[in-house]
Amino acid sequence: MNRAFTQVVLPDLGEVDGAVVVGWLRRVGDAVQEGDDLVEVETEKTTFVVPAPASGRLAEIAAGEGKRVQVGDRLGNITGG
Amino acid sequence: MEYRQALEIQRSVHAFRRAGKVPDVVLTVEHDPVFTRGRTARPIEYRVPLDAVRRAGIPVVDVERGGDVTYHGPGQLVAYPIVDLRQQGRDVKRYVETIEGAVIDALAAFGIEASRRPALPGVWVREGKIASIGVYVKDWVTRHGLALNVGVDPAHFGMIHPCGLPVRAVSMNELLERPVPLEDVEVRLVASLARGLGWRVEPRGLEELEEHAGE
Repeated sequence: MNRAFTQVVLPDLGEVDGAVVVGWLRRVGDAVQEGDDLVEVETEKTTFVVPAPASGRLAEIAAGEGKRVQVGDRLGNITGG
Repeated sequence: MEYRQALEIQRSVHAFRRAGKVPDVVLTVEHDPVFTRGRTARPIEYRVPLDAVRRAGIPVVDVERGGDVTYHGPGQLVAYPIVDLRQQGRDVKRYVETIEGAVIDALAAFGIEASRRPALPGVWVREGKIASIGVYVKDWVTRHGLALNVGVDPAHFGMIHPCGLPVRAVSMNELLERPVPLEDVEVRLVASLARGLGWRVEPRGLEELEEHAGE
């Protein structure tokens, strides 16, 4: 059964002081497969690729380019399957 | 080695590592002159117009690593550790500190005292910045890495603000007032990285690595 929404959250990257969203690799409305490269964030001179946590459609971008986020913060939503 | 060629090799070794076909690897290389721009590079980081950079015949390449603009070229030791961070505590900050620490240890072996600066990743000496860091992580496996100035042409570095900062790029040769063979620094740096990451090092050629991955 498909959950209505799956949240895309900033994973635990260790002892970092948050990260900045560098850019989304998909647009709202795009179909995504679980594990696809979805959004890039940067911290400590490191680009970290956050994968899609589920298959479906990118329904919402909550944290756009340039937004500072903390571990566990919601970056967006994936809907359907 | 030409930058784009090295980048291709780096990306394929990264794919091999993600597929579990090879153990952790560190690639070391000396590049032909090139400016590379990380994900957060901005135009203000050039001291000279971009046109002038291009006229100097130095390519400008956009890359996926973190950080801003940097220079690579002869006399600079570049190391690309391809590391599975799932075996290193899944900590991006600790990883960056480990590679900074490896550079600091390697420099100490040559009598150069270097350190970190708070909130400014890279390795610093009193006179300026001696090594730059820029990393990319996908599936918890790293690529890109560090560039240590052994004896770099200051005119090339003079075209940019390294990492977007109004700082000077410093080379080991300049501090020691003698030329240091790049190979000697490479041996020290790889040993320090191995210590920091808990590796036992086996030297391998690229062909051996590709054969190993193909098995």
